[in-house]
Amino acid sequence: MTLLDDFRLLEKNGFKLLPYALTKSEDDAVQAAKRIGYPVALKIVSPDITHKTDVGGVKIGIKDEQILRHSYQDIVQSASGKRVDGVLVQKMARKGVELIIGGKKDPQFGHMIVLGLGGIYVEIFRDVSARLCPLASADVDEMVAELKTHPLLEGARGKKPIDKKALEQLVLRACRFMAQEDIMEMDLNPVVFDENGCDIVDARFSR
Amino acid sequence: MDRIIKNLDSVFEPKTVAIVGASATPNKIGNVLVKNFLEAKFQGDVYPVNPKYDEVLGYKCYPDISSIPGKIDCVIIATPAETVPQIMEDCAGKKVGGVIILSGGFEEINRNDLAGKIREIAEKNDIPVVGPNCLGVFNPYTKVDSVFLPTYKLERPKAGGIAFVTQSGAVGSTVMDLAAYYGLGISKFISYGNSTVLDEADYLEYLLHDKETETIILYIEGAKNGRKLFEAMKKVNKVKPIIAFKAGRGRGGQAAARSHTGNIAGSYLAYQAAFKQAKVTEADSLDEVFEFVKIFNQPKPAGNRVAIITNGGGMGVITADCIEDEGLILAQFSEETKKEIAGILPSYGSVANPLDLVADAGVEAYSKAIDVMLADKNIDALVIIILMQTPPIDERIIHVLSRVSDMQKKPIVTISIGGTYTEASRKILEGKGVPSYNSPNAAVKALDRFITYARYCDQLKKIK
Repeated sequence: MTLLDDFRLLEKNGFKLLPYALTKSEDDAVQAAKRIGYPVALKIVSPDITHKTDVGGVKIGIKDEQILRHSYQDIVQSASGKRVDGVLVQKMARKGVELIIGGKKDPQFGHMIVLGLGGIYVEIFRDVSARLCPLASADVDEMVAELKTHPLLEGARGKKPIDKKALEQLVLRACRFMAQEDIMEMDLNPVVFDENGCDIVDARFSR
Repeated sequence: MDRIIKNLDSVFEPKTVAIVGASATPNKIGNVLVKNFLEAKFQGDVYPVNPKYDEVLGYKCYPDISSIPGKIDCVIIATPAETVPQIMEDCAGKKVGGVIILSGGFEEINRNDLAGKIREIAEKNDIPVVGPNCLGVFNPYTKVDSVFLPTYKLERPKAGGIAFVTQSGAVGSTVMDLAAYYGLGISKFISYGNSTVLDEADYLEYLLHDKETETIILYIEGAKNGRKLFEAMKKVNKVKPIIAFKAGRGRGGQAAARSHTGNIAGSYLAYQAAFKQAKVTEADSLDEVFEFVKIFNQPKPAGNRVAIITNGGGMGVITADCIEDEGLILAQFSEETKKEIAGILPSYGSVANPLDLVADAGVEAYSKAIDVMLADKNIDALVIIILMQTPPIDERIIHVLSRVSDMQKKPIVTISIGGTYTEASRKILEGKGVPSYNSPNAAVKALDRFITYARYCDQLKKIK
């Protein structure tokens, strides 16, 4: 499955994604960015690249056409020698707390949801909490409270607490999605939360 | 409850027991088994089964199950794996109540064919089977004892309210030995091995209805059916607290994952999730299993406000730190309590929490202070530190503490740290059912887990 198929399946299951377009050329990307509106992010789409950031396959906060063109060239170069399906142009996400909402089908317990501080360091800090599907809203509250980093979600350092309702809805939707589509593994990572909602920046799953 | 689970009554409360593979040779497993029943003065009939003997330890010995006259409730099998399917057939023919298969040599060495035959016969005839590849059961109330480790090497615990369900026989026997040593009373010991017919969830279901069982310890390496276990834990833990210890947590051998989640979420994370959602108390080690279980005989606290009483200031400070670390609260004494305690303290003492009775404090001072705190509505639980080394403390403190524990008004935990004298005193306390610890951290952690469970029970009541 390509990234685009993944995104479409998520949308079909009611997930709201940031505006995006898969582009095949630099000019194509410029057109897409105009349509979506700056600032945007560019991401390499390749079946050979799992962790895009690690190979320089992601450029964020692109403000105008000039930077976009440079970034596009850089990204394509970073993937030289690899199969490339195209470059994703995506509306920049809001600023806020990055979380991972993960899912897995455990051979013993079936579908489970994993919540943690997201982004690229998730496997290093391993600050996660987990629950078996289906979950109740009280479970989501407990999952948040169990994270060592939960003060970040509650509004540390003068920030407002994240939109817990949006988190709860997303987690419950992820549970339904995994059951519906019989998902083996799923990453919604990162999902950026602020007090008004959340943006799913990246997603991947396997069936 | 399924009929096959209900039929476990025959295993735990049999009137007649047959021991297949009984032996007249001392120290053979088949000999230890018969000896268990002889020495424990089992009240029912015992039938050793072995074509080689006419008699074992004074009991008439039979060549096979079929030739035993009358009904047989429980059959213990300790013969090689290949012989077991035929013995199971005999058991079915004889309509026995239940079977314990101690023998190994089944799933664990890929003899699923043999295991399959056992399952088929058992399920067709509603015969509950404990094992194979296990130590079987011990019930101190009826003296049924298939644990083939001699009693002079492995003491049997007294009768009480703690059930112990263990996948591993080795862990099970160690815990049982220690339970006996510390004077913990158990209701049922179940070492279930390969769980060919009945699995951990079935035993939980049985114990839910067992009148002697109040608290359940579950030692598990890998569940046979995780979802079934999860549902059973949720159901049983609402009525009887479960303390679970999961071993085999490593992530080695986990298939290479494509996602972050796949990489982080090993099977242990799923177990943790199951424990948390079922509100089961998870222990992190065998030590914690013991530390946690002994406080569950106390009355459930109404909240998390803790009073500390001590005869040594430093120990009070350390314990207060633990209280804070676990997220519990140091209680604010009522005005009434303050006044009464001021009357107990010497002139140089001060009323505070932790309450330092000072080293001059005798048993009387403890007794009075404890009574005052039991009456204070601002206090939910008591941590009582006793430095046994001080001159005025003598063995009467044990009577005071066991009186308070028996009153079941508020939960208490006691902490005493020291050498031989202190440890001997602690052992007596444990034998009297007073939760006693030699570490403030362990005591407060156990109290915290107990408070968490009590809060869950309160929530359940409110939902009803």
